[in-house]
Amino acid sequence: MKHLKPINNKALKLEQAADENRIEEVVAMNSVAGCASTTDPGWEIDAFGGVSSLCQPMESDLYGCSDPCWWPAQVPDMMSTYPDWNKDAQASNDNWRNLGTVFPEDK
Amino acid sequence: MLQTATRGLAAILVLGACSGPLLADEGKALNRGHEYMVTTNYPNNLHILDLATDSLYKTCQMPDAFGPGTVQLSPDRTIAYVLNNHYADIYGVELDTCKQVFHASITQQPGEKARSMFSFTVSHDGKELYTVANPTRMLNDRYEVQQPRLDVYATNAGMSAKPVRSFPAPRQLTIMQTGDDGSLYIAGPDIYKVNVQTGKFDVLVPSRHWKRPLYSAPDVLYVWNQQTYRHDFSLLYTAAKFKDKKEDPATADYVYGFFNIDLATGKTKTVDFGPLTEIYFSGMVSPKDPNLVFGVLNRLAKYDIKQKKMLQAATLDHSYYCISFNKAGSKIYLAGTFNDVAIFDAESLKPLGKIKLPGGDMAITTAQVFTR
Repeated sequence: MKHLKPINNKALKLEQAADENRIEEVVAMNSVAGCASTTDPGWEIDAFGGVSSLCQPMESDLYGCSDPCWWPAQVPDMMSTYPDWNKDAQASNDNWRNLGTVFPEDK
Repeated sequence: MLQTATRGLAAILVLGACSGPLLADEGKALNRGHEYMVTTNYPNNLHILDLATDSLYKTCQMPDAFGPGTVQLSPDRTIAYVLNNHYADIYGVELDTCKQVFHASITQQPGEKARSMFSFTVSHDGKELYTVANPTRMLNDRYEVQQPRLDVYATNAGMSAKPVRSFPAPRQLTIMQTGDDGSLYIAGPDIYKVNVQTGKFDVLVPSRHWKRPLYSAPDVLYVWNQQTYRHDFSLLYTAAKFKDKKEDPATADYVYGFFNIDLATGKTKTVDFGPLTEIYFSGMVSPKDPNLVFGVLNRLAKYDIKQKKMLQAATLDHSYYCISFNKAGSKIYLAGTFNDVAIFDAESLKPLGKIKLPGGDMAITTAQVFTR
């Protein structure tokens, strides 16, 4: 972990828990409430600091990411929360304009 | 030497296309001795491609919703098991008839919601199906993450299959394959060898916990659960090779490699095959030449494993996630992302055509090539 630093709140909670030796109390909930604890740079910058290893075009990577709840910030969680997000865009390359933004419902 | 096949891309032929009603051919049986590829896509299709003609043979409609569509084949290649419905259900589909013959829900207990992250396969004798469930208890005021479990099903249990055995499992488990001796190999933080009778997990291939001097821990993102002609289980990794004990990432060399388990013998390999210069989502050793490994994402690249060197690369007209070979090792089939399968000559890396699939994106599905 020495090369990693938290940059979002979930990751910060994880690090705090580790510092307090409470790591077993904090586990990622990968299948129900939101997605990962990571904001993994993917559609902005690739592993080399460039863009050539990002998926091309970005639509090709849309459902590979939203289906398994891969990018928590960038696409809706289709695994649990917004399963029908792409019902009007089954072929992303042709129909991506039918995809909308989503917002949490008011309590 | 980097060679690209850019010029050849202009000459791509669309070899297959959607024609006629999808349901018309559902009962068309597969032919013994013929080679096929199965893959899945939105809205919920299971496609069977004939690799003699590189065309769509037929399409089976599956129930419920799509995702991820990962396919595992029974050993006799008559039934495709598909993880689907937003990672929540596994369906068995008889390929000759498109008839649904098996169904299991990943969620088992009242009040829980469970998903399987690409994590299932069929036993070497076809009698059992294994899956790792990641359950969460859904309480009124909170959610509680539960320990994952390895659930074992009988494949003859029909449409409301229940686990015949269930064992606690480590977290973060993904793809798996079974060995000829009945062992189950599951990838996660390490690659485990699992006794499916007792539920005992042993580390077979250390991954996050490997002890390679001056190497960083490997980075592994590998969810393509392929049943290969080489009869092996492989995952790509990347890692830093540091210059010295200071472990400075800025001066390190970065390498690509693969973990490999021979499913006949259980023998394992951890092999660096070249410098990390671009990203591949999946890779596969040639069925013809064990010294050649290929990777794909934005390019299709070929490496000489002994020389640890890229030999050649072809540009693609969009990203593809999932690489497969025909049995002869002469053709490469690229699947995933959009709804076309791209075909390349494995020797020259020249494009040979595309098979356009009816329906939408394949997304993160796993294709399988097999001989009936």
